[in-house]
Amino acid sequence: MTVAVHGVGTSHFGRQPHRDLVALAADAVQEAFLDAGTDDIDAVWVGTVFGPPGVAQRVLRAMGVTGIPVVTVENACASGTTAFAEAHEAVRTGRHGRVLALGLEQMSTAFAGAITPEPTDPEGRSGLALPALYAMAAARYLHLGLATPEQLAAVSVKNHAHALHNPRAQYSGRHTVAEVLASRMIADPLTLLQCCPTSDGAAAAVLAPATGGAREVTVRGVALRSGAPWNHRSPHVWGHDLVRRTAMDAFAAAELLDATDVDVAEVHDAFTIGEIVTTEALGFVAPGDGGKAAAAGVTALGGVLPVNPSGGLLSRGHPLGATGLAQLAEIVWQLRGEARGRQVEGARLGLVETMGGGVSVLDGNSCVVAVLEAP
Amino acid sequence: MSQPSTVDPRPRVEQGPDGRYRVEGIRCPSCGEVAAFAWPRCPACRSGVGPASFGPDGTVWSSTVVRIPVPGRTPPYVLAYVDLDDGPRVLAHVTGPGAPIGGRVRLAPPSADGDVTVEVLA
Ligand SMILES: [Zn+2]
Repeated sequence: MTVAVHGVGTSHFGRQPHRDLVALAADAVQEAFLDAGTDDIDAVWVGTVFGPPGVAQRVLRAMGVTGIPVVTVENACASGTTAFAEAHEAVRTGRHGRVLALGLEQMSTAFAGAITPEPTDPEGRSGLALPALYAMAAARYLHLGLATPEQLAAVSVKNHAHALHNPRAQYSGRHTVAEVLASRMIADPLTLLQCCPTSDGAAAAVLAPATGGAREVTVRGVALRSGAPWNHRSPHVWGHDLVRRTAMDAFAAAELLDATDVDVAEVHDAFTIGEIVTTEALGFVAPGDGGKAAAAGVTALGGVLPVNPSGGLLSRGHPLGATGLAQLAEIVWQLRGEARGRQVEGARLGLVETMGGGVSVLDGNSCVVAVLEAP
Repeated sequence: MSQPSTVDPRPRVEQGPDGRYRVEGIRCPSCGEVAAFAWPRCPACRSGVGPASFGPDGTVWSSTVVRIPVPGRTPPYVLAYVDLDDGPRVLAHVTGPGAPIGGRVRLAPPSADGDVTVEVLA
């Protein structure tokens, strides 16, 4: 059975300690119900990482979503897209008729700055903050001549400029490459403006069988994988191979050979190097060309393949569990032609990629890639 | 973040009779995968594994200087992924100001807190 996204909704993104998850989730779910034209759902999948026990039922009861199956999933930064992937599978197989996927996270009340490294993980216990993991990928790229500091910064410049047209983004601005490079060093070579902020937010989608409706965005294919061992035998930096393998699965599910026909994408740019590596892993650009593409405007609005028109995680913000569904909402708006000042004209095929990390030895906790098609 | 159990998850580093430090881990007889942990099965192919020790020397795959506050630690501190010779890639703290990529390092005594630590070889 072919599945379509019938409605999406999100909260505002940013530091919102004065609002609780009930309020943030209500913004996203009510907008998604309104967008779908119905609140008649049969099951809910909820993605969250740091949400307390019972958070899914706690937020859903406030909207009268009670008495139906509710499943909570955790896959690090890919938790929201994991909820989406599972909701999609539930509809595709006929297990449920209409399903809500919800992602939510409140980071501002949990962390003063970067996420505290997980002490039950070997590398977390060793003090490997996530910026440092990505910083080592960036340092390796610089060492091998696969990117320059200016190309890293270009990703931040681009995504902050994109966010100028997204009223729900946490940050936006017209930065220069020099400003990005001059911002405070977080983990060499990544500076503050190359790292996603601490964010609160929620996002939701309503999935049901495709009926050919004028506002239905069809799900062409979804894939989910966990990482394989990443070590001295791996040819690429951390994360690349997991994204690549998951993308190949998603392209196969979508009956595509590769990324050639993709018009717009939201990808995991928690750090600038992440977008560069991901655009290479997805096959948007040739290996080693991710930085050049960002600096040359290839992946900017108006370029050949706009990446992160919403501003991405770097600017929209990165409330972990909400991120994947926020990416999905952006692609749905793009494919319906409703993205206003950041619209990619004539976009027909869109891609969402989310990547979660934090388990040492593996090249990712989980990755989800989805391919969607305009009505 | 969860509460740490009393089991330290970091690689176990032991000093050998030659005075050198080595990481105690596993090697897979089926596929050759190595890991710096005493896991019951191979993380790549699920086969049973045998104990193996790695080091003392290795090569820096990449490194960074962490400059943000991390609970229980005082920035800045240098971290590196080190490919131990004929062994796994391990995350290590580096004594000294930095660790050039491709540079040679040697396992040093673990920190008082139990971090895997390397020193840069001249
Ligand atoms: Zn094996």
